[in-house]
Amino acid sequence: MQNVIIFVEHKKEQTRKVTFELATQARSLADRLGGAAHAVVLGAGASQIAEQLRAYPLDTVHVSEDADVDRYLLEPSIAYLEAVAKKIGPSVILVPNTMFGRDIGSRIAARLGGGFAADVTGITVEAGVISCVSPKLGGALITTCAFQNTDFGVVTVRPNAFTAQAGGNGAQINQLEKPAASAAYSVTIESEVEEASGELGLEEAPVVVSGGRGLGGPEPFTTLLKPLADAFGGAVGASRAAADAGWVPYSLQIGQTGKTVSPNLYIAVGISGAIQHKVGMRSSGTIVAINKDGAAAIADFADLVVVGDLFQIVPELTKMVEAAKT
Amino acid sequence: MNLREAGLGFLRVLGGPEANVKIVVTVKLVPEPSSEKKIDSGTKRLVRTGVETVINPYDEYAIEAALALKEKLGGDTTVTVFAMGPENTKETLRKALAMGADDAVFLSDAGLEGSDVWGTASALALGLKKVGFDLVICGGLSDDGSSGAVPGELTEYLGVPGITNARSLDVVDGKVHAQRETDNGYQVVSGPLPALVSVTMAIGEPRYASLKGIMGAKKKTIAPLAIADLASPLALGSAGAKTRLLDFAPPAPRQKAQVVDAPDGATGAKIIFDFLKEKRLV
Ligand SMILES: Cc1cc2nc3c(=O)[nH]c(=O)nc-3n(C[C@H](O)[C@H](O)[C@H](O)COP(=O)(O)OP(=O)(O)OC[C@H]3O[C@@H](n4cnc5c(N)ncnc54)[C@H](O)[C@@H]3O)c2cc1C
Ligand SMILES: Nc1ncnc2c1ncn2[C@@H]1O[C@H](COP(=O)(O)O)[C@@H](O)[C@H]1O
Repeated sequence: MQNVIIFVEHKKEQTRKVTFELATQARSLADRLGGAAHAVVLGAGASQIAEQLRAYPLDTVHVSEDADVDRYLLEPSIAYLEAVAKKIGPSVILVPNTMFGRDIGSRIAARLGGGFAADVTGITVEAGVISCVSPKLGGALITTCAFQNTDFGVVTVRPNAFTAQAGGNGAQINQLEKPAASAAYSVTIESEVEEASGELGLEEAPVVVSGGRGLGGPEPFTTLLKPLADAFGGAVGASRAAADAGWVPYSLQIGQTGKTVSPNLYIAVGISGAIQHKVGMRSSGTIVAINKDGAAAIADFADLVVVGDLFQIVPELTKMVEAAKT
Repeated sequence: MNLREAGLGFLRVLGGPEANVKIVVTVKLVPEPSSEKKIDSGTKRLVRTGVETVINPYDEYAIEAALALKEKLGGDTTVTVFAMGPENTKETLRKALAMGADDAVFLSDAGLEGSDVWGTASALALGLKKVGFDLVICGGLSDDGSSGAVPGELTEYLGVPGITNARSLDVVDGKVHAQRETDNGYQVVSGPLPALVSVTMAIGEPRYASLKGIMGAKKKTIAPLAIADLASPLALGSAGAKTRLLDFAPPAPRQKAQVVDAPDGATGAKIIFDFLKEKRLV
């Protein structure tokens, strides 16, 4: 494995912060392996994202605005990525550890007969062998895995685990040709419905303010939590109990069967801290809980638990954080 | 090298309309999620013997999706559960049969120990090809492996249309229709059978097994499969694995939380604000 390829997730001419973390890591990894750093950006808006990527130390950015990419589910993306990988040869492919990244990563790993390392927070190279560090079993163990028996390795990288640093001399842009497989695409995207705010980014927000069953209904998510999250420049998350109750869309759910986040600051509001929730946020920098029950499970892994009524505390805290900004 | 290159062709087994869809649910048998899990320091594998085993919670939702679809389609539609795992976990499959699945296939072989995502997906693909299917339904994530990559890899090795993260699912005129969750909403997608779909927990709460179901499950078949039945062109198990666990350790422990009572909102807010200020987070 010598080269590094990042696959860029983007939507509506916006990409995720993790893209730039991947680009920076790709350079460092390519240097350690003695290879080149590539990016692949596909679909509507790809050229504009490619321009943004030229501020990062990549060698080549492969682009196609082929409309098939947004018309068919995953298949065109995999066909393009396969063509690039096969052309440049042995490579490690970095994708974000997001819903989309896991889909792309698993398909391309299988297509290339490569290894797959999930939710990676560190990458080392020793004597040409790549090893990936990742929390497993809900973060109860930190594991190190090496690739073997293959020319290709796919790594899904946890957002916020690596830093992004601009630099380099501006990558070359390479327009890709339509893959031969295009006649066989089979899963059609008929329509797309937005339920949440529409931005990419709960996973990479620097501050996450999460609400649980303690909020008692959907309104406090918009009237209480959103203003606090906004004051921090952060995002709103939720427990599964809140998502199951229909108070927020599942896309906000954090935990084992939701998203994994590691912000600098996680504020759990009216969340008890069940193990399935914990595994999605335990690696956050600082964890603060607001709960009327001081013995809630969250006290076992939070840094600070304030025992009191969230409906009284949150508005006051929002005022203080806003005041501190001005 | 992968199974696609080795020429795994897939032939649709049942050619009829949706009145006789053969649904196969992939089910993983995992250590009870809240139990303390151990990795054997010698083999560097998760200890799967001497621990309570359950159906991967996510896969109960996959079973529910299959049973609901069967009820809707009627006719000769069948639901088979397919699991790969060590011999001692086999009886756990009865729970899926008690929920209402028609039969089960259990792929178990010492040669499959140490399978990584690639090996698991390859073995499942060969097994599913042998069993035959119109629609494969997977869970989204296993509680122990948690890569969420098996459904995607399996899609490739079966060479069928793949739809991940479905929150609703239907089959009409030989096509599967689904709403699939995205980061901020959902997409309406469709593709022809045979196909593979992975579901999210929004697909619907798994049903409980009835007493009648539990009694009936005792008589249903769990057909065994072993590596020899797969006629794999590639080495499976630890010999073929594309990843190898080198090392594992517990994470650095967190300090015990400060727990502070807040008599009123303003005091509570101030406690948090001062704490964050000290950490330079505001
Ligand atoms: C297979 C499986 C997967 C799961 N996956 C996830 C997952 O991904 N994410 C997830 O979050 N959960 C998941 N769960 C569910 C998990 O076990 C818990 O049920 C859930 O996290 C509880 O949510 P909660 O903390 O909001 O609710 P509760 O446990 O009911 O906690 C509510 C908390 O709010 C506090 N509270 C109430 N009113 C107030 C008030 N006025 N002021 C202050 N505090 C108040 C209470 O003291 C309590 O601690 C999963 C469960 C299973 C079985
Ligand atoms: N050993 C196995 N036997 C049967 N199904 C499996 C196995 N491993 C994974 N799966 C399926 O793949 C899904 C995702 O698992 P994973 O990729 O391990 O997170 C599970 O929900 C199962 O449906």
